[in-house]
Amino acid sequence: MSADGRRRAVLALLAAAPLAARGQQARLHMYNWNNYITEATVAKFELACGCRVVQDYYADNEEMLAKLAAGATGYDLLVPTGNAVQALIRQGALRPLDKSRLPNLANVKPAFMNAWFDPGNAYSVPYAYSITLLGYNEDRMRALGVPTDTWAAIFEPEHLAKVKGKVTVLDSQRELMAAALMYLGHSANDTDPSHWRQARDLVLRAKPYWAAFNAASYFKELTVGNIWLAHGYSNDMYTAQQDALRAGRRFTIGYASPREGAIFALDNLVMHRTGRRPDLAHALVDFLLDGENSATLTNAIGAGNPNAAATAYLRPEIAANRTIFPAPEALAGLQQLRDLERRERRLLNRVWIEIKVR
Amino acid sequence: MRSSPWLWAAAIAAYAFLYVPLAVVVLFSFNDSKLSAEWVGFTLEWYRRLFADDAMLAAAFNSLLIAVVAACAATVLGTMAGIAMHRYRLRGLGFLVLTPVAMPEILLGVSLLVFFVQVLDVTLGLFSVIVAHVTFCIGFVAIIVRARLAGMDESIFEAARDLGATPWQTFRLVTLPLIMPGVVAGLLMSFTLSLDDFVITFFTAGVGVSTLPLQIFTMIKVAVTPEVNAVSTLLMLVTLTMIVVASRVAPDALKGRG
Amino acid sequence: MRAAPSPRLAKWLVAGPPTLFLLVFFAVPALIMVVASFRFPGEFGGLAPLAATRAGEDAGLTTENYALFFGDWIYAQIFAKSFVVAALTTLACLALAYPLALAIARSPRRRRDLMVLLVVLPFASNFLVRVYAWMIILGPLDLLFTPVAVLVGMVYVHLPFMVLPLYTNLEKHDPALLDAAQDLGAGAWQRFWRVTFPLSLPGILAGTALVFIPVLGMFAIPEILGGKDDWLVGNMIKEAFLGTRDWPFGSMLSIMLTLAVLAVAGIAAALGRGGSRGA
Repeated sequence: MSADGRRRAVLALLAAAPLAARGQQARLHMYNWNNYITEATVAKFELACGCRVVQDYYADNEEMLAKLAAGATGYDLLVPTGNAVQALIRQGALRPLDKSRLPNLANVKPAFMNAWFDPGNAYSVPYAYSITLLGYNEDRMRALGVPTDTWAAIFEPEHLAKVKGKVTVLDSQRELMAAALMYLGHSANDTDPSHWRQARDLVLRAKPYWAAFNAASYFKELTVGNIWLAHGYSNDMYTAQQDALRAGRRFTIGYASPREGAIFALDNLVMHRTGRRPDLAHALVDFLLDGENSATLTNAIGAGNPNAAATAYLRPEIAANRTIFPAPEALAGLQQLRDLERRERRLLNRVWIEIKVR
Repeated sequence: MRSSPWLWAAAIAAYAFLYVPLAVVVLFSFNDSKLSAEWVGFTLEWYRRLFADDAMLAAAFNSLLIAVVAACAATVLGTMAGIAMHRYRLRGLGFLVLTPVAMPEILLGVSLLVFFVQVLDVTLGLFSVIVAHVTFCIGFVAIIVRARLAGMDESIFEAARDLGATPWQTFRLVTLPLIMPGVVAGLLMSFTLSLDDFVITFFTAGVGVSTLPLQIFTMIKVAVTPEVNAVSTLLMLVTLTMIVVASRVAPDALKGRG
Repeated sequence: MRAAPSPRLAKWLVAGPPTLFLLVFFAVPALIMVVASFRFPGEFGGLAPLAATRAGEDAGLTTENYALFFGDWIYAQIFAKSFVVAALTTLACLALAYPLALAIARSPRRRRDLMVLLVVLPFASNFLVRVYAWMIILGPLDLLFTPVAVLVGMVYVHLPFMVLPLYTNLEKHDPALLDAAQDLGAGAWQRFWRVTFPLSLPGILAGTALVFIPVLGMFAIPEILGGKDDWLVGNMIKEAFLGTRDWPFGSMLSIMLTLAVLAVAGIAAALGRGGSRGA
């Protein structure tokens, strides 16, 4: 075997070695959003518990629910948004929390406890939140005179004409319809078919000006300058803003919650009934409820933080950011998505197909 | 055989098309910037990070293991299927073999997940992924082997029979060498398909079993770091090494006699 | 000399293992999904139970899903669009792959392995990473989020599936045939069109099958590279399983797609048989 081949064989063995060494430790299986827990936090916990955290990832709630619906078992912890928690509770898929093992639960701000989907927090613990809003290239929007505090920016042809081909919207049925419904003055959870038709027509009128429906790479395109206006999540917009600053771009990225209303997504830690290590799961949840640990994620990606004890550890400019941490009055204006009944899901899907095809 | 210069120009253009994105991938694995948008400077940081990334290395190991096992199994079963389809004109087998290729991967993935979990009550893991991969690779191998047999002169098999060869001898000494390029092509294709598969693996991989496509997909959705480029570059090197080693060890098998 | 084993036994030995494997791991799961297409969607996603456990709950079998499909033109529209994209991809692949396969087949034996390897090697890297590389290339060219981007991506990803079957076929063409044609006065183009091309038809058909069909089910490339108008059947099916969690609907769509594809494959096979008889 050539020297090259030998070197590669060694590399391959080295790759296998960590696996062999770790095989003995206890494992905690977590099913989480991409990038929703920092490596530093995981490492710190693994050291403290002498265990290993094995993560699988999903990109949205529907994907997670779909995989669980197919019977995937063995996850100890999940991180669903409110409406997904609702669905999981109704299916009886979650393990009740043992509050005696969660002393840090007291750290959570009362405003986020006793949510509509889990009164009494029998199953869930608030972890982080994000807001669905508009992110934009500040220089371009100023130069073109496009308002950035309203959904009209992505729905009205008079504004869209100035940014044609430079706009992306989320590739999500619920999110896009919610934005359209709120702009039209309805509730984001409205299920009236006539309102859905109104929203559909609004979307179809704006669609010719959009570049794409995009849920994954929009903030990269914003940072690079290919896209000037994007419908997306506050964490992503914060990341795009920081990346643009670090890369020394000539423009800056801004983001704002539209005044007609925005979707507020509260993500929670829950335990799945088929998880094998509830003890480790409780330990990790309590660990994440600690103020300093909780603040790590926010400082890293600008995620909203429902933890009162974390405030002391937040970077001052993030803590002062009124978009990520809305004032109580503004918070009241944000809406949360609720899960739809299956007949409604099917009807919405039909509307969505029309939006995509026409 | 003299070939026209046009032919060579077209071939080179095709190779260029194949390799330009590849060059981009390899180039940006050395780029000193988190975003793969423009060249900033040279660095080995991403390779350093890659070797410290347990999750990625475990996923790479899984991917290679699954690909090797699945490709071998699929090639054996697919070659048998291809021969059977050609020799015995089995319509039923043809249908059974062709349909997994025709079905959208997502349906195969979901059906296998439901089957494993609700019918067989098997814990998902590496095994379920390997079986899933073999299922969709058999068809590809069979199609290629059958295409190879289809253009062959039947008289050579008759001659072998007339000379007193048993079916096994005919297969080993006549058929196999003749179809070997097809078999090898099928093996390569199965290996590639398995290594790259995302959809079916997504549904059949057990809790905690990650493969490279799954790992990369999750990273790519939010934080595209060039670590992903680094692992891709290395994976190509590993495959190249494996194939070069294979050609040294069994040169005749790859070239095919006859 | 030992008696030769019966031809019947030989047939079962050769055809048996793949048949058994595919019956268990393909046919049975597929059957489950066929039945699924006749069921109601579950309350929280997935499938509703076959026997009603609560009064008033939808359970059991229904043709509702198929009624939805046939009661609306929009689905046929999406299918047609996807077939067009698949056809264009296949043609583009053929145009690129044929010269390449021919060049490889005509090279000296030593070089052929290397050339085939060079075709397959790019595909040892990851599919998604290659697609993202195209984002980097197409972005500055202002071609990102356009139908062209989708086509480029599809062709790029499926090229080896056209090259390999073509090559295995072309490689066994007897050079004496071309020499004879030349002796009879045929020019280069005539030699290609009257001798090489007809002989390569099985390879072309195999390659077409291996490109056309997977393209129909793809969703990743339209999702990543495509724009607002690039939504294909694969995306619709993915949305059903992973977006709406409406499995019966997704199963029904997949079955309709499989049937459509088998119909096309059947026509192609019939053409193939008719063609070879005429040659």
